[in-house]
Amino acid sequence: MKVSLNWLKDFVGIEQTHVELAEMLTMAGLEVEGLEHRGHKLDNIAVSRILDILPHPNANRLSICKLDVGKDEVSVVCGATNIATGMLVPLALPGNTLPDGTKIKESTIRGEVSCGMLLAEDEMGLTDDHTGIMVLPENLTPGQPLSASMDLEDWVFEIGITPNRIDCASVIGVAREIAALTKKPLTMPDIRFETSDKKIDDLAQVTIIDPEGCPRYSAGLAEGVNIGPSPFWMRYRLHASGIRAINNVVDITNYVLLELGQPLHAFDYYELADRRIVVKRAEVGDVFTTLDGQDRDLNDQTLMICDGQRQVAVAGIMGGLNSEITEATTTVLIESAYFNPTSIRRSSKWLSLATEASYRFERNIDVEGTVFALKRSLALIARLAEGFVAEGIIDCYPRPWSAPEITLRVDKANEFLGTSIDKREVVDHISALHMEIKEQDHNKLLVKPPAFRGDITREADLFEEIARLVGYDNIPVTLPLIKPTEEEQPELCLRDRCKALLVGLGFTEVITYSFISPQSADLLGAGENSDLRSFVKLRNSLSQDQSVMRT
Amino acid sequence: MKDQLLELKIRALKALESVAERSDVEKLTQQYLGRKGCFTLLLKRLPELPKEERPAIGKLVNQLKEELQRAFQAATDALTAKAEHEISVFDVTLPGRRSPLGHMHPITQTTEEICRIFVTLGFRVVQGPEVELDYYNFEALNMPKDHPARDMQDTFYISDNVVLRTHTSPMEIRVMEAQSPPVSIISPGKVYRPDSDISHTPMFHQVEGLLVDRGVTFGDLKGTLTTFVHQMFGHDTKLRFRPSFFPFTEPSAEVDIQCVVCKGKGCRTCSHTGWIEILGSGMNDPELYRFVGYDPESYSGFAFGLGVERIAMLKSGLDDIRLFFENDIRFLQQF
Repeated sequence: MKVSLNWLKDFVGIEQTHVELAEMLTMAGLEVEGLEHRGHKLDNIAVSRILDILPHPNANRLSICKLDVGKDEVSVVCGATNIATGMLVPLALPGNTLPDGTKIKESTIRGEVSCGMLLAEDEMGLTDDHTGIMVLPENLTPGQPLSASMDLEDWVFEIGITPNRIDCASVIGVAREIAALTKKPLTMPDIRFETSDKKIDDLAQVTIIDPEGCPRYSAGLAEGVNIGPSPFWMRYRLHASGIRAINNVVDITNYVLLELGQPLHAFDYYELADRRIVVKRAEVGDVFTTLDGQDRDLNDQTLMICDGQRQVAVAGIMGGLNSEITEATTTVLIESAYFNPTSIRRSSKWLSLATEASYRFERNIDVEGTVFALKRSLALIARLAEGFVAEGIIDCYPRPWSAPEITLRVDKANEFLGTSIDKREVVDHISALHMEIKEQDHNKLLVKPPAFRGDITREADLFEEIARLVGYDNIPVTLPLIKPTEEEQPELCLRDRCKALLVGLGFTEVITYSFISPQSADLLGAGENSDLRSFVKLRNSLSQDQSVMRT
Repeated sequence: MKDQLLELKIRALKALESVAERSDVEKLTQQYLGRKGCFTLLLKRLPELPKEERPAIGKLVNQLKEELQRAFQAATDALTAKAEHEISVFDVTLPGRRSPLGHMHPITQTTEEICRIFVTLGFRVVQGPEVELDYYNFEALNMPKDHPARDMQDTFYISDNVVLRTHTSPMEIRVMEAQSPPVSIISPGKVYRPDSDISHTPMFHQVEGLLVDRGVTFGDLKGTLTTFVHQMFGHDTKLRFRPSFFPFTEPSAEVDIQCVVCKGKGCRTCSHTGWIEILGSGMNDPELYRFVGYDPESYSGFAFGLGVERIAMLKSGLDDIRLFFENDIRFLQQF
């Protein structure tokens, strides 16, 4: 999981340097496996304003731009077609080197002198967009360095997420962890938006036929959306996280996935027959075309999202080609659901299809978080795609979640960890992790973990949380009293003695793979029905040469 | 004269039979063939003989002299050989004959070194099967079918329920099933995962450790593994315990040691972090006790697992794990 430092700072105050933060996260169990510096090699790229665009006298496809770079005016030959007089654009002056290593030189292009180069986003390593010269916001000042003007410098943390901590496969999850470790407040993302006078209940319906596979399905709707590219800031963050930008609505679903860890899916509302969503299992023999254009054979275990007549998405894994968002889409229905982890895992294996969504669903996401994530996406759609959000949301929740109640004994925790932490400190740590605590007596606490911490169900799980927040390094080192038990296995002693004797006689020990080729029996001259051919076969060997176990 | 000569020869040969030293042979040579020896003296009397007898006697003298010369030489050679032989048996200053040196495989040596440290601490060595039931490899280690943690380890399958063990941890369950607490074992052995590149081989070696007793703490886990690291890598080696996840331990900890190459400054070996992960560990998850019938309220304990190749590579500075199984004799004989 790649997490941007600037994005984290939206939700929690961070005073440490990127190196200190990486160290803190690693020592809390979120191992930082890599750190990437972004947007920092752009100091020599300046904001410039296009004063005039003249046709190139010797080339039809080129033009000459007169640019204001603060103190100076320069002239640059450019081939892009998206430029216009008055625009602010990034300019690399001669002597600069682009992030990809390209050196900018003053040159003569078809007889005209060009004092630099106007740049597209991908040429600066910001996104992979190469549709034209990057158009900068109007509030920037010509002559100023680009990186500082747009606050582009960032650090991206590559975090190894262990299977139990899927809540941290999101920016908010990591921010929440930082807040707990530093005891700082957490700010949640903005989910405010205005609604139209249409009510969602009049526009769409959701039916869950298989509540086992789908304990919760929340949905919202926005009309009149303008499908187009997302703003730069969003594409910049998606790119930092390794997600390709597609269009504003799809980008918003991906953005919220990264931000909150809740996979969302956007349907083209007018492609949904009967304007309804039905969640049910597929039937054997069904074939479904996913977004990537592949035909997929389904089985009767595959949970599907259907409309009034047909299948429109493989639940929790990938949407369908038949209802995807296109340039022509005007109304979108956003799905924010919770699917059964085992069901998603089986289908993902069956289809050999693993996605960002299936990865999270099969590890048990926050069942209580679907509505918040839905509202976050609707707020962004209202803001960035000029959508009119219908009033209300649909929230089918046939299997409501209830928090496990765990009795935590402070003395037992200390006995187990070898520590002497007082109850006050235990309460501080546990409550910093968003757990509800009821103090029962001087020793016992009744703890209710939040839904996003599905990994915490027992007292031992709480011991781990205490140890983590106290810091493993702060737990005192002691030695156990080990009572020697039985003798060593006699055959081990014999084997070791034989080895020692043979090495004493001048032999050198080799260790070879335990798997061999079935043809090795031929070399021994074994007959067709020889016992030498009764191998233990591997089902998934790496090669024919290593496909059976020697016996 | 002729008879005198022949008698002389017989006497000489007889004398030769009883010699024991090379110096005695020399004396005999002087006595018979020397400038003042018997034959020379006899030859001096040659002019006394009739003219016609002289050539025949002269010839006979030379013939006998040659004969004796050979006999004395043979006796000298025999005595020399005998003397040399006697000297070689007794000369302790001569260098001994070298027998070729044998070599234990580096993995065996490292395994033994690891085990020796834990045996000193009171652990007992046990070993178990490499072809293992799914139950022991996964299920009883708190990894039911469809558990995402199974993704952490790709697995060789023999049938639906039989696998090549992916770690030595199944031995934890086997040992706990077989005996009641206290338990303190280490279990070295081969493990298998379908992976093959510069840092992975489809077969490699682990050492598992398990301790179960009353009142074992997380501090004890830290103490035991700190002792191990200090003995294995030197007493000035820094180490750290880092929270992690294993389905069969709670809390779980990975142990990093300060990079042995750069001493923590950051280099290629440690991916510029200054730390190298060397083992996984944790307090036994109470769920395991449920599988083997131990009472989690009364007993606690810890377990750990370490990769032998990794430790052998760190200690020898190797960077390609595959070298261990290529079995190039020139490689193996360096250990």
